[in-house]
Amino acid sequence: MSSRFHTSETGAQLFARLEGRRSLEGIAANIFPEDGGPTQGDVVEMHGMEGTAKTETLYHLVSCCILPAQCGGLEVEVMFVDTDHHFDMLRLVAVLEGRLEPAGDGSLKEETLKASLRRLSVVRCSSSAQLLLTLLHLENTFCSRPSLCVLMVDSISAFYWVDRGNGGDRPARQEANLHKCAELLDRIRRDYGITVFATTHAIMRNYASSSASPSSSSTGDFDRPYLCRAWQRIVTHRVVFSKCDVLKDKKQVFSAACSTSRTRGVKRTLFCITNSGIEFL
Amino acid sequence: MTVLRVGMCPGLSHDLINALQSAGIRTVEHLVSTNIEELAQKCSFSYKIIFQALMAVRRVLLAQHTAFPVFGLDLYEELLCSTAILSTGNPSLDKLLDSGLYTGEITELSGGPGSGKTQVCFGVAVNISCRLKHGVLYIDTSGGMSAGRLLQMVQAQIPGAAEQMAALQRIHVYKALDAFSLLACLQEWRAAGLQLMSAGSSVKAVLVDSLSALFSHLVGGRQSNAGMSMMMQVAGELKLLSKDFGVAVLVTNHVTRDSSGVLKSGLGHSWSHVPHNRVLLQKVERPGSHTCLRVAELTKSSRQPCHLQEELDISYSKNLNPENQPVTS
Repeated sequence: MSSRFHTSETGAQLFARLEGRRSLEGIAANIFPEDGGPTQGDVVEMHGMEGTAKTETLYHLVSCCILPAQCGGLEVEVMFVDTDHHFDMLRLVAVLEGRLEPAGDGSLKEETLKASLRRLSVVRCSSSAQLLLTLLHLENTFCSRPSLCVLMVDSISAFYWVDRGNGGDRPARQEANLHKCAELLDRIRRDYGITVFATTHAIMRNYASSSASPSSSSTGDFDRPYLCRAWQRIVTHRVVFSKCDVLKDKKQVFSAACSTSRTRGVKRTLFCITNSGIEFL
Repeated sequence: MTVLRVGMCPGLSHDLINALQSAGIRTVEHLVSTNIEELAQKCSFSYKIIFQALMAVRRVLLAQHTAFPVFGLDLYEELLCSTAILSTGNPSLDKLLDSGLYTGEITELSGGPGSGKTQVCFGVAVNISCRLKHGVLYIDTSGGMSAGRLLQMVQAQIPGAAEQMAALQRIHVYKALDAFSLLACLQEWRAAGLQLMSAGSSVKAVLVDSLSALFSHLVGGRQSNAGMSMMMQVAGELKLLSKDFGVAVLVTNHVTRDSSGVLKSGLGHSWSHVPHNRVLLQKVERPGSHTCLRVAELTKSSRQPCHLQEELDISYSKNLNPENQPVTS
């Protein structure tokens, strides 16, 4: 920690550090516990099996951030890092248009939509080395754009098996890139107050779990954390997604269970997906 | 891990590389993530020269290897122009998939043996080649490709012999009998920009039948690093092909049962995150139903609610609307 005081920082970095970022007060209040929502410098991990609405929740969070204040948004800029290549801009626009419904007539709605889309930037990465270099490059971007408050990574576990294959037989070498990415994210969130949302896939079966349910498709059985320790250390909020067995109006119901390092207990929310995004139950 | 080499970028001379190696830095990732000031002080050359050289090299390497952000508005406008929806040739399947295969997405067809996956793939290839007049890349891994059957399906759609031959020429078949040749195939095509086999028409779809034939023995039980890594690399190549070149990718997969007896698609949980849409094909259990009928269920979709079901006719012997005609063999 003391070594940090000996490094110099540029004027722009000093300014970015002192000015501070807008807080994300009340974002997705349904999912996060009261007084426990993500603020500047928090890292939220969204964990779940396939088809459990993690990317859909990210679309909801993006729309909460980029929409103007009169439509219920926070008007902050978002940087979206897409490693899964699942980001569907057409679906995001459908969600935004659903929330812009009460805004009025056609041309005003279109202007608002374009203004909101200008607050979003999307980067695509195809390997963990490229992810590391892109995050390093983005550090400069965070420095120079103070209205950029949110970084979303979908998903941070996309290169897990490829790294394991490239790293030979030593776990330290296998995790090296993700370890560096996690340290870099830690530095970015501390220096610039950025909130990080990242999704992870549930792929490791938890053999030690004493779950009594006979079906093996519950997320509790696939909850084992498998990413490197550096990543697990910086996570402050963890949301676990799963599908419920009930149907509401013939629509699949999903559940999100949120636990944070600052509050006790787990907050559960139920929601289903409509044409215009998430609808909380 | 990209190793630093002379000539990789303008400032990277032999002396600089030796100086970096003596400080323990061998790869691009290591160079750009260390503190330049500390590094310059550790090396034995003059501080000013090495600091400037390192900053310049670092900037160039970052520019060469990073991905650059695109504004949401530009991405949206680009997608509006370039996304296309390819009909599968089967109206019930189109209804299930929200009018067809979308370019830029991976669709998975899973089903047991004899459930009609290869027939559906043939139907998609023939429809794209005959009606939409675009090229199709068909990768055959299990030897299920039958040119005679393709000709039969083309003849049901197009009358003249010359046009039938032209349509067949737009379907390019490649055999990949192991995972390495599949990966090599995909990487070659991506590097060549899908140009080399176009014959005047652009390729709009890549079909892999079947992916599980190559990878099912690597998954399940004790997962080997190399096997899973190979499968995820193939997944990465398919995703990049679909996004960069605007093609629709269709892959087929087998099915297994989980511990409660429910059918699910094979290749494990790591693969299950890859496709954007998944259709499960099963034989129709009704007594007296026709042998060419199948039930398709949508089990994963980015646009439609899940668990929609439709009945499909996979005989493909009539031109349009196969659902309301009883088929005679």
